[in-house]
Amino acid sequence: MAEKEATVYIVDFGRSMGERRNGRSMTDLEWAMQYVWDRITGTVATGRKTALVGVVGLRTDDTVHELGDELEFSNLSVLSGLKQFLMEDIRQLTEQIKPSKTNKGDAISALVLAMQMIIEQCKKLKYKRRIVLVTNGEGAMNPESLDQITKKIKVDNIELIILGPDFDDPEYGVKEEDKHPRKFENEALLRSFAEDCDGAFGTLEQAVAELEMPRVKNTRVQATFKGFLQLGNPEEYDTAVRIPVERYYRTYSAKPPSASQFALRSDLAEGQTESSAAAAGTQEYQADGSSLTTVRNLRTYQITDETAPGGKRDVEREDLAKGYEYGRTAVHISETDANITTLETKAAIELVGFIQSDNYDRYMHLTTTNIIIAQRANDKASLALSSFIHALFELECYAVARMVLKENKAPVMVLLAPSIEPDYECLIEAQLPYAEDVRTYRFPPLDKVIMVSGKVVKEHRNLPNDDLLDAMDKYVKSMELQDTDEDGEPTEALPIDDSFSPVLHRIDAAIRYRATHPKEPVPPPAKILTRFSHPSEDMVEKSKKYLDRLIEASDVKKVPPKVKGRKRARETEKPLSGLDVDALLHQEKRNKISPDNAIPEFKQTLSQAESIDTIKEAVQQMGVIIEDQVKHSLGDVNYDRVTEGLGMMREELISYEEPALYNDFLKRLKDRLLKEELGGDRRELWWLIRRTKLGLIDQQQSDRSEVTEEEAQAFMAPKRSEV
Amino acid sequence: MADGNPYREDEVVEEEEEIDESSYKAVKDAVLFAIDVSDSMLAPRPSTDPKKSIQESPTTAALKCAYSFMQQRIISNPHDMMGVLLYGTQASKFYDEDENSRGDLSYPNCYLFADLDIPSAQEVKDLRALVDDEGEARDILVPSEEPVSMANVLFCANQIFTSKAPNFVSRRLFIVTDNDNPHGADKALRSAATVRAKDLYDLGVSIELFPISRPDHEFDNSKFYDDIIYKTSPSDPDAPAYLQSGSKASTAAGDGISLLNTLLSSINSRTVPRRAHFTNMPLELGPNLRISVSGYILFKRQEPARNSYIWLGDEKPEIAKGVTTQIADDTTRTIEKWEIKKAYKFGGEQVAFAPDELKSLRDFGEPVIRIIGFKPLTALPIWANVKHPHFIYPSEEDYVGSTRVFSALHQTLLREKKMALVWFIARKAAGPVLGAMMAGEEKIDENGVQKYPPGMWIVPLPFADDIRQNPETSLNVAPEPLIDQMRMIVQQLQLPKASYEPLKYPNPSLQWHYRILQALALDEDLPEKPEDKTIPKYRQIDKRAGDYVLSWADELDKQYGQVTAAKPAPTSNLVKRGAKDQASAFDDETSKPSKKVKVEESPESVEEEVRSHYKKGTLSKLTVVTLKSFLASQGRSNVGKKADLLERVEEFLESKAF
Repeated sequence: MAEKEATVYIVDFGRSMGERRNGRSMTDLEWAMQYVWDRITGTVATGRKTALVGVVGLRTDDTVHELGDELEFSNLSVLSGLKQFLMEDIRQLTEQIKPSKTNKGDAISALVLAMQMIIEQCKKLKYKRRIVLVTNGEGAMNPESLDQITKKIKVDNIELIILGPDFDDPEYGVKEEDKHPRKFENEALLRSFAEDCDGAFGTLEQAVAELEMPRVKNTRVQATFKGFLQLGNPEEYDTAVRIPVERYYRTYSAKPPSASQFALRSDLAEGQTESSAAAAGTQEYQADGSSLTTVRNLRTYQITDETAPGGKRDVEREDLAKGYEYGRTAVHISETDANITTLETKAAIELVGFIQSDNYDRYMHLTTTNIIIAQRANDKASLALSSFIHALFELECYAVARMVLKENKAPVMVLLAPSIEPDYECLIEAQLPYAEDVRTYRFPPLDKVIMVSGKVVKEHRNLPNDDLLDAMDKYVKSMELQDTDEDGEPTEALPIDDSFSPVLHRIDAAIRYRATHPKEPVPPPAKILTRFSHPSEDMVEKSKKYLDRLIEASDVKKVPPKVKGRKRARETEKPLSGLDVDALLHQEKRNKISPDNAIPEFKQTLSQAESIDTIKEAVQQMGVIIEDQVKHSLGDVNYDRVTEGLGMMREELISYEEPALYNDFLKRLKDRLLKEELGGDRRELWWLIRRTKLGLIDQQQSDRSEVTEEEAQAFMAPKRSEV
Repeated sequence: MADGNPYREDEVVEEEEEIDESSYKAVKDAVLFAIDVSDSMLAPRPSTDPKKSIQESPTTAALKCAYSFMQQRIISNPHDMMGVLLYGTQASKFYDEDENSRGDLSYPNCYLFADLDIPSAQEVKDLRALVDDEGEARDILVPSEEPVSMANVLFCANQIFTSKAPNFVSRRLFIVTDNDNPHGADKALRSAATVRAKDLYDLGVSIELFPISRPDHEFDNSKFYDDIIYKTSPSDPDAPAYLQSGSKASTAAGDGISLLNTLLSSINSRTVPRRAHFTNMPLELGPNLRISVSGYILFKRQEPARNSYIWLGDEKPEIAKGVTTQIADDTTRTIEKWEIKKAYKFGGEQVAFAPDELKSLRDFGEPVIRIIGFKPLTALPIWANVKHPHFIYPSEEDYVGSTRVFSALHQTLLREKKMALVWFIARKAAGPVLGAMMAGEEKIDENGVQKYPPGMWIVPLPFADDIRQNPETSLNVAPEPLIDQMRMIVQQLQLPKASYEPLKYPNPSLQWHYRILQALALDEDLPEKPEDKTIPKYRQIDKRAGDYVLSWADELDKQYGQVTAAKPAPTSNLVKRGAKDQASAFDDETSKPSKKVKVEESPESVEEEVRSHYKKGTLSKLTVVTLKSFLASQGRSNVGKKADLLERVEEFLESKAF
């Protein structure tokens, strides 16, 4: 569990915070709030009850607190006491944020107030205490009791952060010209104060700039296995060795927050269905979510029952037993035999053998990786494992092991690779594929072409010539990445530490922005997230001449999109011998499409059609066949054949550029389906046609079509009144 | 039911699998074996190996292949179909027709032995019976006197595919025969067959031929089958012709066993049709230079199918199909899909986004593989991995010339031992990843069959967010003499060819799972012991490395003695750690039983303690810590209350009769 936290933000609301300075488009207060909102919503996003946030307003019009009404504590307001911040608190705070009409109010007093809040809340308990002060430093400050405050902050172990717009920071490169003398004085005061408290003092510009930098969540380290790395079988052989080890995640995919499903509250939905059907697109999404109710999944179970209407019958889950499918046979497994199919195993990492690291193909890693270290605080184990790690390293070997993490869990084969750093030694473990995990798809070689006859050819349009190879070689060299480490030294390492999960941080930022700015559109993703989406500009510049040469040598031609969909060259439709089967088909004289062999005969008729009438006739015949299939379908028996026929017709008529024939047929079919003219209720079929995207052919898909994209969509759109 | 609804409801959209967005077809595969039954196909071929006296006829070899194929598919492709059609048989059978039916037979001398469907346990059993030549097999495997018409066979297959596997993305007809010229010079029959083959092609069925040479005659494709088989597969137009046509390797003159093996490996390599994960993806080498590639997943963990609910009310057990409806939590009214809104929980409430906004949050542009630079292969750390790789191969679909450019890049990266760093968006809204793209060489097995294809592999890299910190631990670097000893051990135990070959290791728990299911489904005796190729070869390890292990252990003791001597008070540290650590620690304080390797003495002492209490019947006097460490040292689960632990310890000790 993470440590308890209490953070008080002191925000300067003084009149002068409402000014726009140094060419900025936003006021100092807006600017400051960027930082404060980010911190607060960051805390809210954790959803932790033990992460408390309080907000104090400095230089407010009113005075709202419990420290009495002495003058030095005037114009300070507790906007929010320390508590878990929720949406409601965010909304309240949003409303209170505007510059006041006064410049009165002492930042030092505000600090005392914030400390008081923390002391009351945290008492002597274990808390991470923090005060963040954001001010432009223009208000009057009374440094009288600063020594005592400093002492108290240190005793209570409160972390102090002071930030302000245009605070001078030579390191970051901010220096405000013509600074107001009071601000100059205050800055100096706050700086030395922060330093005395071992706190941080900085300029707001830097703080806001760093917000772009995604924060990586630190997760608590926990062993996923404690047991033995073993060689040989200790139960049978005296020569077996076991080294006590522990296993930890090395990589683990961080998942973006996941959305939940909601629906409009039923009392609101009633009135809304009709109006929203029209206004579906423009419907406003309330960020507060108060009008939403959660959606639950309800699962029912059905079995086939020929006597029941629709051929299916509902059964209660309580009446069902557990089991598995073996092919299409149901295999029942009784409660007492629940583990009968589980392979009995014992937890251990057992060495199977060793391989040369050169012989290992790195792309065989199947999973995230883990590290294996010796049992902690066991010097002998760590000595033993160290000798193993070093031996692998020196021999350039990896170990292959059978790993069972828990009793009766499935064994996996893993690769163990040595990792030696100056201050850390461990084994890296990655899971390897089993025989069943390998899909043997075959592909022709890339450095030669084998003709149908079996002849091997080295010069071919699919093979690069020497010129292309040379151009590629030079281009690859010119695009060599030169990364540098923290000290600016060139390094071979990949920029993994600087690459952040774009989706994760984008969604995270959007949620937090939407929470505080419900009415505004979500801003674009932070630049840092797309940093690696393109090669760097200077590299593009540097390698340009090599790329130009490569482009020339490549002679790549884009296939116009129109051509793509069309019928492939006739050549490919011939058998290996090259025999002209069409000629044979001609002799056969198939004049009517037979329902038994509809798809091939439809295609063949089209390919031999010399007039549009032949095509029309074929479509008409095919239409009758499809409608017959629907009419005679018992339940959904023929539906797959129907979609196959429709899909094939659609594809063919797109490539023969006769979209209207398909569209007319589909319109008629829809009409007849919904009017129940084809053997009763066929809505399920229509749903299937919709799902498999067999709608009207629109102008996007065929420029001979007269149906626009919108019309095609409207045609397929579910009619809500019907549902 | 406490332990889980077998259906997981959190399986939301975002996870990937092969989805064919562009197609209306079901991503399923149907394979129909058409096996020739003739005198020559039934003639047993003796084994040349005197130790194996089994005789194998081409037909039984083919049936054995079909049987193994069927079993394999139940595990690897539980939703795909297969069937077995025998042709040239005296008997005929097609759905409700057989030779006793009235009227003419539609497909004489075609015997539909197993209908095209997801196999059932009964079909597995029947096929095995046929392989073993039991019962009715003798009646079925009788060749007809009349020659069979290939046109008829092909049309029969056509009808089976049309009615049983409509709308499948992949439909394949496997023909196994030794007759390279079934119709000789009969032109009419030939052209009828050719036309029926074209029908199959137009239907989207590809024919894959497994030719078998006769002892005295080499199979010649050009006599007949080159008119039947097409240059491209209708479902996989990118598949090159030479992979489609019957491979020349599957012929074997004479020897029955090698015939079976070559046929088996040839069929195995086509268990699954190629399915692309994405097609026509632009691979951008630089601004203004794009080629097109298709992506495949060649390594993916195969999991056993989840358990299901079963209805036992009727004669035959039946899988109950689950149907999910979504209801509103407030009034339990049914919610339609269009009503559903997505929102994130935040600060105790929901933060909602319009569907378009939600989509835009995941949208980082069109799918692309964009090279942003090159690095030496050595720059890729061995730990930098999060999931399986994607395999890519060029396609000429979008850019003519893609293959030669890809090939040039492939050759360059191989030669220079470099990889490309790529920005990779696999699908729209899939979320970009940074990947390391490396060239992979083609690998060929002993029979000349391709094991791993040539192409490029994209290994997705972890983001900074995906990296976990190493736990703190103290470092004890082993001194040279100890490493030297360990090196000896490692050198003794190299795997064959010093490399890992996945195909040699079937997943033992997956195989066991289905082996048991098969036995239950067929009402057979349960197998006693699983075959588990992943278990280390203990005897060999002892024989080859045993002595080295002993001297390494001696050295370890010596070195450890020096370490402890150098440290001020190492033992106090040990004492504080308590029994739990003592138990499994390499702790020098305990006495050394002479028989075991000395690194292992402490678990020994715990074991002795436990055993002696067990003998006295005073196990319950042991502490939880001792019990746990004893269980852990045996690789047993050590969670739970003391009572559970005691039970498990007792159970374990009882099972060890000593």
